[in-house]
Amino acid sequence: MLIPALLFAMFAGIAIGCSLGVIFHRNPVHCALMLVGVLLSVSGLFILLNASFLAALQVLVYAGAIMVLFLFVLMLLNLKGESPLLTRGAAKGFGILFAIVVFVELLWTVLSPQLEGGMATPPTVPTGFGSPAAIGRVLYTVWLYPFEITSILLLIAVIGAVVLAKRKFG
Amino acid sequence: MDTAFLIESAIKVHIVLGFVLLGVPLIVWMERKVLGHMQDRIGPERVGPFGLLQTIADGIKLFMKEDLVPAQADKAVFILAPAITVVTALIATTVIPWGDTVTLFGRTIPLHIADVNVALLFVLATTSMGVFGVVLGGWASNSKYPLLGGLRSSAQMISYELAQGISLVSVVLLAGTLSLTQIARQQAHMWYVVPQFFGFAIYVISAIAETNRAPFDLPEAETELVAGFHTEYSSMKWAFYFLGEYANMMVVSGVAITVFLGGWNGPVLPPVVWFLIKLTAFLFFFIWLRATFPRLRYDQLMAFGWKVLLPASILNLVLTAIVVVL
Amino acid sequence: MIPAPTIPLVYYQILAAILFTIGVVGVLVRRSALIIFMSIELMLNAVNLSFVAFSRQHDSMDGHIFVFFVMAVAAAEVAVGLAILVAIFRNRDTANVDDVRLLRG
Repeated sequence: MLIPALLFAMFAGIAIGCSLGVIFHRNPVHCALMLVGVLLSVSGLFILLNASFLAALQVLVYAGAIMVLFLFVLMLLNLKGESPLLTRGAAKGFGILFAIVVFVELLWTVLSPQLEGGMATPPTVPTGFGSPAAIGRVLYTVWLYPFEITSILLLIAVIGAVVLAKRKFG
Repeated sequence: MDTAFLIESAIKVHIVLGFVLLGVPLIVWMERKVLGHMQDRIGPERVGPFGLLQTIADGIKLFMKEDLVPAQADKAVFILAPAITVVTALIATTVIPWGDTVTLFGRTIPLHIADVNVALLFVLATTSMGVFGVVLGGWASNSKYPLLGGLRSSAQMISYELAQGISLVSVVLLAGTLSLTQIARQQAHMWYVVPQFFGFAIYVISAIAETNRAPFDLPEAETELVAGFHTEYSSMKWAFYFLGEYANMMVVSGVAITVFLGGWNGPVLPPVVWFLIKLTAFLFFFIWLRATFPRLRYDQLMAFGWKVLLPASILNLVLTAIVVVL
Repeated sequence: MIPAPTIPLVYYQILAAILFTIGVVGVLVRRSALIIFMSIELMLNAVNLSFVAFSRQHDSMDGHIFVFFVMAVAAAEVAVGLAILVAIFRNRDTANVDDVRLLRG
């Protein structure tokens, strides 16, 4: 019980620290690197939850591709940092207040007694849980229709991105 | 997790780490000698027998050099970038099996550090994290040439990652598992290079592009962008980038051997020896390519990756899938 | 090789709630469009974590499938969103969302 608890504490601490870094840093490249830290620690948490395929996919897709895209756009646009976070503005105060309300509501839902088996140790799962075979078994049978629609969605996104970012000649 | 397993794993980690860190000077020496002989000259021969200690001497020189950080550079990211390159390459070596099992003290010890059931995805994921080392190194130098070199180099790496991944997936269709140890075990009778010859060719070409080696090394060629993304790096940080590049070469060769060339399987000699022979042959092939081919221009490189290799690998995948189903 | 007893579900949900809230703060308070995008990614990751934890709790692969689709949709959204950002930046030379207010009443 000790090693999973230690690992969880480490990954959770890194995730929270890096996510605070994302919203507090001024330099956008530092924020992007902090977000990579969050993604990697969430991947670690996935491994603790026996979701090995998703953990690898998280690093491969999210941290390896999406964040590289972010960094490319950052560097090509050469964006400088903005003014510090907690300065003037009632809008910012309302934003933080709203976030606190959201947090209290989420905690209320999570800690309510209706969440079955919340504080107990999770049940044991079969050995192949979270493996690519288990995902494939469900993805191509029950969830086939959303899978095909997602592939069309990605095609639309590719075409849209190319069209939107193209330089117009003349 | 008993202590015997922990001790076993610790020893294996030390062995692999030592092998990679000592193997890199050997690869550098081999490259200089082989390139020299192919270019009708001798290569290093003064320092130590056959010039073997040349890389050590270079290492000592680099250690003593002044470690410059450019004035306006982003210091934290500047120091982090070469570390990312090296660490991701070293992490990827943990799942590559370098031999079959070994029986010591009554325990059967498999010769890989970890047998993950998504090992192939793990290797792809860590090599895609290696792109960060290049792009951040180029940006953190706060200078034109490194930035352009870094962007070009990382764009090249992410373009060829796709063809690399899809050619590996074709083998996964035949093998039925993503675990590298299982894939190596299944090749006891026939190596996967035989049914998947085109997949192997595609994988090798994209692996060369991934590691920024010739003929795809325009981003770090001296005649182009000064020295590309590592222009502003000196002494040990530069040495780290090169350590990372050669370690990456070893990882990519290791994956190619395990997935296509039968892993450790071979007739007479012990499995580890076969793995080392195949690894050396692959690295010699890398060096041979560098001596033989001229560099590809950047637009030729990108066009080749997207318009030729990617459709070819998808076609390979579709044909393999059809053959497996029928 | 993770040993069998694991962390109770509640801790994962609380962590997901914290990450989600930090993402909400990021979206509402920061003014640079790229940082807002990053905070949206943070929120999506918090939700992914929650899904996977629930999926583990109920021994069902459906949570994993949902996370798979969330990742695919997030990738599509980032691609198109950044393309829009690049197009806006080319016209107005700013990435600050406060400066893009021509349609405001």
